[in-house]
Amino acid sequence: MPRLLFRTLGSAAVVSLFAVAYAATPKEAQHARHEHYEELGKAFKAIRDQSSATSPDFAALQKNAEVVNEASVDQQQWFPAGTGPEAGKTRALPAIWTKSADFEAAQKMFSERAPKLLAAVKSKDVDAVKAAFKDTGGACKNCHDTFRAPEE
Amino acid sequence: MTRVWDVPTRLVHWLMVLLVVFSWWTAETGRMEWHRWSGYSMLGLVIFRIYWGLAGSSTARFSQFVRGPRAIARYLQGNWPAAAGHNPLGALSVVALLVLLATQVLLGLFAVDVDGIESGPLSTYVSFEAGRAAAQWHEASFDVLTVLILLHIAAVMYYVFFRKQALVSAIVRGQRTYPEPQPVPMRSASVVRLLLGITLAVALAWWAARAFQL
Repeated sequence: MPRLLFRTLGSAAVVSLFAVAYAATPKEAQHARHEHYEELGKAFKAIRDQSSATSPDFAALQKNAEVVNEASVDQQQWFPAGTGPEAGKTRALPAIWTKSADFEAAQKMFSERAPKLLAAVKSKDVDAVKAAFKDTGGACKNCHDTFRAPEE
Repeated sequence: MTRVWDVPTRLVHWLMVLLVVFSWWTAETGRMEWHRWSGYSMLGLVIFRIYWGLAGSSTARFSQFVRGPRAIARYLQGNWPAAAGHNPLGALSVVALLVLLATQVLLGLFAVDVDGIESGPLSTYVSFEAGRAAAQWHEASFDVLTVLILLHIAAVMYYVFFRKQALVSAIVRGQRTYPEPQPVPMRSASVVRLLLGITLAVALAWWAARAFQL
């Protein structure tokens, strides 16, 4: 009986967490997005560090390439309407929502290139990792150039 | 004409000018590969200049121009003999600029951009957060450097136009005229010392650029 009770409570907790995530205010969505991109930045740094190390840690490379790969798909959900500059301080430009077709194309470039980075990591070919890193980074830059405000 | 600055000192001075401008431009326009090369070159120049300050020609040596507040006060009262090289006040400018350039380069070596994509070679030894902090200080220290450079230029202009001392021509041609009595001219350092300094600077800068891995 207690076990059932805990399970029920546990499920209720999980459900309410999801509910919170979906009912996030624009400000919360901005904050979550910022956290997501920070994680992505850390993953990129880890890949760069390992790929230029004398003896790269391929387990760490793979872990981080998976983070990048997942983020490349997930980021398509990180820009709900109403989370632009009107909702608070953000470098996300209004063009994300006014030129959504271009924005989606830019996001797609990332989700197409990230799997190649993961594949390069799995092949354990450092030069291929470096090339794929540059390529994936290029997709980031491509989108940032148009849809992210310059740093203050 | 009295010899004041040797070729290495002049060359380092003007290469530093070029590299500060080039570094600024490559950073502003996001040309980070060139920006890194510019930084490595600047690192080499800073190392060489510090070495030359210890083992170079007489007027390049710190021991010849770094003075205390009392000497600066005497200089400001006009109670200081004319000598080839930096005056006690100008020496402050040299030290401050060199310290700022060294700080700037060191911070750049550890800096990481917000996306974790572009970074200095030594950032591999620090966390993402530390690398971001280095990048922010790198930016702040550039502002301080800019102010110092403007102050340096303003001071030189004051000497050129109001004190009629041909300082710009001296740092280009290496010599200038002094009123009588003629001061002791610069004493050169040997070519062996020069080659040793160049080797040291290139090797250390190259090693740092490779994150101290051979």
